Amino acid sequence: MAEPVLELSNVTVRRGMGVVLRNFSLTVNAGDCVVLYGENGVGKSTVIETAARLLPLEEGAVKHNGRLVFDAEGRRVNPLNPFGLTLQANCLVPSQTIQQQLDNVIAICGKSYDYSSVLERYNIGNRRNDKIAHLSGGQQRKVAVICGLIPGMVSHENSLILLDEPDSGLDDASVEVLIEQIHQLRNLGHGIVIASHDKRMRECATSLHNLSETQHQEPNYSKPWKVSATEKSYPLLRTKIGWNLNFNTLVSIQRNWLSALLVMGCLLSIADPLTLSDNKSILMGFALAPAFTMGLVGDPVFKILNEQRAVDWWRAQNSIIPNSYLESMASGIIFTAIAMQIFNQSMDYRVILIGGLITLTTSYIVRFLQMSTVRLPRNNAVFIRLLTPVLILPWGLVVDYCASL
Amino acid sequence: MRERKGELFLIAGFTGLVATLFLAFNWVPSVNINAFESPEAQRIFYWHVPAAWAAFISFSVLFAGSAMWLFKRNEFGWKLHIAGSEAGLACGLIAVWSGCIWGAAEWGTPWDWQDYRLNSFALLTLLALFLVLGRRSQPDGVESRDTFATFGFYGFVLVPFTYLVTRIWVIRHPGPIIAGDDASSISLEMRLAFYVGVISFTLMVIGHIITSVQITRFEQRIDRLQGIIDGE
Repeated sequence: MAEPVLELSNVTVRRGMGVVLRNFSLTVNAGDCVVLYGENGVGKSTVIETAARLLPLEEGAVKHNGRLVFDAEGRRVNPLNPFGLTLQANCLVPSQTIQQQLDNVIAICGKSYDYSSVLERYNIGNRRNDKIAHLSGGQQRKVAVICGLIPGMVSHENSLILLDEPDSGLDDASVEVLIEQIHQLRNLGHGIVIASHDKRMRECATSLHNLSETQHQEPNYSKPWKVSATEKSYPLLRTKIGWNLNFNTLVSIQRNWLSALLVMGCLLSIADPLTLSDNKSILMGFALAPAFTMGLVGDPVFKILNEQRAVDWWRAQNSIIPNSYLESMASGIIFTAIAMQIFNQSMDYRVILIGGLITLTTSYIVRFLQMSTVRLPRNNAVFIRLLTPVLILPWGLVVDYCASL
Repeated sequence: MRERKGELFLIAGFTGLVATLFLAFNWVPSVNINAFESPEAQRIFYWHVPAAWAAFISFSVLFAGSAMWLFKRNEFGWKLHIAGSEAGLACGLIAVWSGCIWGAAEWGTPWDWQDYRLNSFALLTLLALFLVLGRRSQPDGVESRDTFATFGFYGFVLVPFTYLVTRIWVIRHPGPIIAGDDASSISLEMRLAFYVGVISFTLMVIGHIITSVQITRFEQRIDRLQGIIDGE
């Protein structure tokens, strides 16, 4: 008997003001492909997002490969193996190239893999080094679909693959390639769940499910996917991915550094440091203000990931999403050193280090606040930064401490 | 009459607030002129402290409502959450604003960023502002209710902190008046005007909560009817 790769046990899920799934159960065994179909609003995407641990459960539990990963009691454990996930939104980072995007997915899987042939089959091999933002909507969708398939393509172990309307926006040839690859991955022993309106996708199915009834069928394709990936370890992966995202997009310069420079400029425009030389506290405040500002602007990597719901893809894979803590610390140190030189005409390494810590801590708290509202339907419209003035008090205390050094 | 209960409380509360102002400016004796930089500004205390008291009541209602929603999915709990955050915002702003006026007169500065009491109370008020504005920015649904209720639930920790902070640290803000140690040093007229203020603000908060719960109920009924019209 095949092992289950996904078990949804009596899950009840609410979205908006309605209960979308009530006591819904679904088991997907290794080698199964379940195609969910039905009208809009019936709950197909809700099943996919519930299986991906993106929606809170009112009741029930979710297991991946027999291991409890999420339940209504609030238990949330990361799956042992990464799973394939393509959501309705592409969840890509537009400022990355296709190669960078796919390299990150492969790194999460802990593998090394040459995916050139996959890109060729989807006819985007020549766009490999292009930024995702420069691709057409259909090409972006292809990248999102490949991201969802890769964890299955690189693994011999029975993995879960969740695809929400993968065919949406794809040309006919690409849909055929997709169907063939789904057959192959299923034959390799992966469990696949697809939500789709496209009747062509139903030929992949071992089960057709309209969320109330199941029909079983025997797909007519027996060739398995050939895995050519090798094991590779990626230490400090999330920090490295965060660093790469930052380096590729220069977003921290655009947002955090610029804010710090503006603050320094404003302070210089209102006060001549030489006339304030007897007021150490104010001068120290001036020196530490850029570091604090950079922290208040927030984690630049979070900003990038929030652009196309990429943060949801990361949340589903792992509780820890890429960060820019390293850059925050470095930026805080650099700008405090510059500000110390400008306002205090001195270089106290203790203050410079504290400046780095201020940026790191503030950035971490702002990111935590932002993460706590990420579930909201319009999370960019919420006024979460109203709570950040609470950080002024500890910053003021640190300034006083530094002035006394 | 039952439907008008909230309005009656509100009318009684507002009348009391006007009476408190009248008593504070025309009847209550001035404080010891040697003890304060600006003794006349002290009269704002008859609104400031009762407003802070009413804000604490509102935040308690917010906490209870948030907990009821989070743990029991109780609709009435969500209505209490809405009412508590709105009342907390109104009273919190009155307390913060009146405090700034007094601080400007007494300390020479309207705000002290290094005073724990001022900052923790301001954060409570900002939390209420976040809940009120945030709720308006999102479609109503379990995702937004859960998120805001979580903030309302955990934010309550600031209430005991704000109350106790003047006892723990010696800071610029004066010590506690309600359940404090130095209530006996206040004259009878002062105490009377103060209690009129406390009762008035409490009535106003109760009136607001009753009225807000009714309004939310009507809004939800309209949404349901709209859904029926739209064939949902």
